[in-house]
Amino acid sequence: MEELKNTLKQQIIESLNLEGMKPADIDDNAPLFGDGLGLDSIDSLELMVLLERNYGIKIEDAREGRKVLESVQSMAEYIQQHRTI
Amino acid sequence: MMQPVYISSASVISPQQHFEDVGFLADVHDIAEGMLYVREPNYRGYINPVAIRRMSKLLKMGISCGMSALQRAGIEKPDAIITGTGRGSMVDTEQFLLNMIEMDEEALTPTSFIQSTYNSINGWLALQTKCTGYNQTYVNRGTSFELALFDAQMLLNEAEQEMHVLAGCFDEITPDYIKVKSKIGYWKQPIPANTDLLKHSNTPGTIAGEGSAFFTLTNKKENALCSLQAIATMQDAEPAEVMAAINPLLNKHGLALDDIDLLLCGMNGDSRQMEVYNQLSQSANGHTTIAAFKHLCGEYDTSSGFATWIATEIFKAGEIPDTLVIKKGSHKGIQNILLVNHYILNSHSIVLLQSVQ
Repeated sequence: MEELKNTLKQQIIESLNLEGMKPADIDDNAPLFGDGLGLDSIDSLELMVLLERNYGIKIEDAREGRKVLESVQSMAEYIQQHRTI
Repeated sequence: MMQPVYISSASVISPQQHFEDVGFLADVHDIAEGMLYVREPNYRGYINPVAIRRMSKLLKMGISCGMSALQRAGIEKPDAIITGTGRGSMVDTEQFLLNMIEMDEEALTPTSFIQSTYNSINGWLALQTKCTGYNQTYVNRGTSFELALFDAQMLLNEAEQEMHVLAGCFDEITPDYIKVKSKIGYWKQPIPANTDLLKHSNTPGTIAGEGSAFFTLTNKKENALCSLQAIATMQDAEPAEVMAAINPLLNKHGLALDDIDLLLCGMNGDSRQMEVYNQLSQSANGHTTIAAFKHLCGEYDTSSGFATWIATEIFKAGEIPDTLVIKKGSHKGIQNILLVNHYILNSHSIVLLQSVQ
């Protein structure tokens, strides 16, 4: 799980071009949107694509997507349960 | 007849200098690679820091240059934003198309698609300045910038109260653009240093360039850098047709070619594209200084934006930098500047600028 979270943080940094950030700077449980990492709605679309490309996960339900993208922890847990690649 | 409008501020990002640099073409850069990439300023302070991380170079160039022009005019919110671009954000377009191929049209990221649209920079400028007024992007190849200026002039001519329009242009070089154009022999071989470009005007080919220039235009004369008197554009015109259009345009403003102090031409060093400039140079008498600008910025669809910035700086400085001059004229002072340009022979433009002194 720890390895998955670190990989995921690296992928988030690369796909969202979070200049100057390292995986260690992202708290597992901090909210990705709003007060935490401060991501926005375009970033949420980028994260959905990240899940599809890297883990074969396609989230169709927006409400489910909102829960999955709450934090790195929630994303990693979802990936562990649903990944197809 | 259209009434003149006034340029109250100008800002540039070019291969030679950008809006944070001090001076006017004080330090001309010799670049021998045949591609004149811009010198980039520090974008922070001009662009929303949350959004900047996902922006391509062209977006950062256009937004920061536009914001800088507004700052120089002391305007927080323009009444309208009008721009021109020949190709828009090519980096984002190429990235999106590449993604489509690589991902077999599945799971495409949205950022490059959103930013590849031509009006992306206008949208960001409007969001940042909270401008809900008229917003237009012209994509008309080599006359995109001139049409943006023309639209601004029309808008200001209709205004009954004081009005400020942000008008500008932006285009960028990409490796694929260079590759595609090289297949039709567009680039000069062997590649000369940019400052030697015009010495090689007897052979085909030119050098590539990119840049952004923004201006604040207004219907108020006070504190203006210069006035924009007239703009004419022509598509697929022969050199004789362009020549025939110049005198009537000047006559409408009470001028003749002999009254032009500076003729700023878009000579790009390509022997196939010099005819109109050669004819014009021969028609000008000893009064007029003949100058060129594309050896400093390279050839691109909206290079006339760089030329317009040069004109505003010349009015400000009261003198013409030697690096621009092809033939020095006997004029005293600079009252009238005529920009004559074309992009690959098919998009021609004539712009008349006048001192407000």
